[in-house]
Amino acid sequence: MSRIFFLLLIPFLVLSTKALAQCNDQLVNDCALNGGDNVTYIKDFKAKLAKGKRGSPAPTAQFSMLLNKGSHYRFGICSAVEYEGKGVLQLYDAERMYGSTYDFTTGKESPYFDFLCKKTAVYQIFIYFQDGLEGCAAGIVFMVR
Amino acid sequence: MFYRVFITLITIIFVSCNGCVDSGKNPIEESLNTKDSQTPVVGTEEMGDVIDNIGSPVEWANMIKQNGVQFSKKYLAPTDNIDDLNTQFRQALALGILGADLGYLNMYSRTSSILQYISSIKELSDELKIGQFFDFETLKRLSTNNENLDSLTYISVSSFNKMDKYLRERNRGNVSALIVSGLWLEGIYLATQVTKEIPNAKISERIGEQKIVLGLLVLILNNYSKDPVFKEFSDYFNKIYEELKKVDITYKVGEPKSIVKNGIMTIEQTEESIVKITPEQLKSITIIVEQTRNKLVNAK
Repeated sequence: MSRIFFLLLIPFLVLSTKALAQCNDQLVNDCALNGGDNVTYIKDFKAKLAKGKRGSPAPTAQFSMLLNKGSHYRFGICSAVEYEGKGVLQLYDAERMYGSTYDFTTGKESPYFDFLCKKTAVYQIFIYFQDGLEGCAAGIVFMVR
Repeated sequence: MFYRVFITLITIIFVSCNGCVDSGKNPIEESLNTKDSQTPVVGTEEMGDVIDNIGSPVEWANMIKQNGVQFSKKYLAPTDNIDDLNTQFRQALALGILGADLGYLNMYSRTSSILQYISSIKELSDELKIGQFFDFETLKRLSTNNENLDSLTYISVSSFNKMDKYLRERNRGNVSALIVSGLWLEGIYLATQVTKEIPNAKISERIGEQKIVLGLLVLILNNYSKDPVFKEFSDYFNKIYEELKKVDITYKVGEPKSIVKNGIMTIEQTEESIVKITPEQLKSITIIVEQTRNKLVNAK
């Protein structure tokens, strides 16, 4: 019984770590060491954004990164606990969005998504906060081994 | 209150001392020690973006390992000549080269050799006044006790990311460019040495794709080419680029596919870059990379 309870608890423990740390290097450390099994941290992107204006698009931080063909990447985001804003990370190339930690249509959030890269190129990473709220987040890129 | 004033004073002293230079060094050394020696043609922000994209010290190593290649210490750069590197130019380049080797050692969990490399990296980063970002004590403990290899890799890689970020924020992008160049050069050196002994289509393809990556890197290096030392250095990379430019890269279009794999949304790209690299091209690239890397590693 206690084993079942523990197993049921795991997803909550894992998900809750995504919003435990404050807006500092600890946030990156916590996030970078919670990417799952068989992953290696490659890079982090920190974004601290003010609250957006009503009727305007949510403030967004933009970064770029070279991704290599044949690599399996994992993108994750962790939001600082002292801010209301929940961070969203999106991956784009010049033409399209490939992945997002937030699904607009269903409203479903996920701390990670994986990307199997088949084209070496510079990709864009966007970080913003849901509903344009003020927030601080660390986006992490892992390589899946 | 006192604590805040103290921290503020320390910060002011620290930031202002960033501009301090040692007397008795030549002008190139001075400029390399402090900030960019000339105004880059490419904007600082774009430079930062480009430089951010190059030289992950673990990606090459991971690819080599995934393709079943055994670890070999013979590919690694020596650490016994660190004290002979008497210019910041050489120190920055060596820092990048050893950073790539550290990534290789991390990927193969060679903790017994790691200590030697992190000691040299610490020495070089101290010389370049960025040693505060290299957590030597933690890395030493992790490698000595052979514990938590993921943390070891994380701290190693994030130290390099922090150094790079700090240098760019302090207008020392030229030093950052040298470190990244070292990382890139050692990465492609490892890959070409491996394919020289064990031909491998995937690694060869990744080598050919460096046409794209080096195209970005030479853009950065050429920005500093008014500096004679940098000019000589960027010429080496331009020569490698001349060989890589002969590789044919075409693109196949396609829509991405999404599947949920092990509970994680996984997006598979179907748009693809197709690399055609001939054995002759690979051989020429291998030769010029080997010559350049060995010349730079053994230079003092």
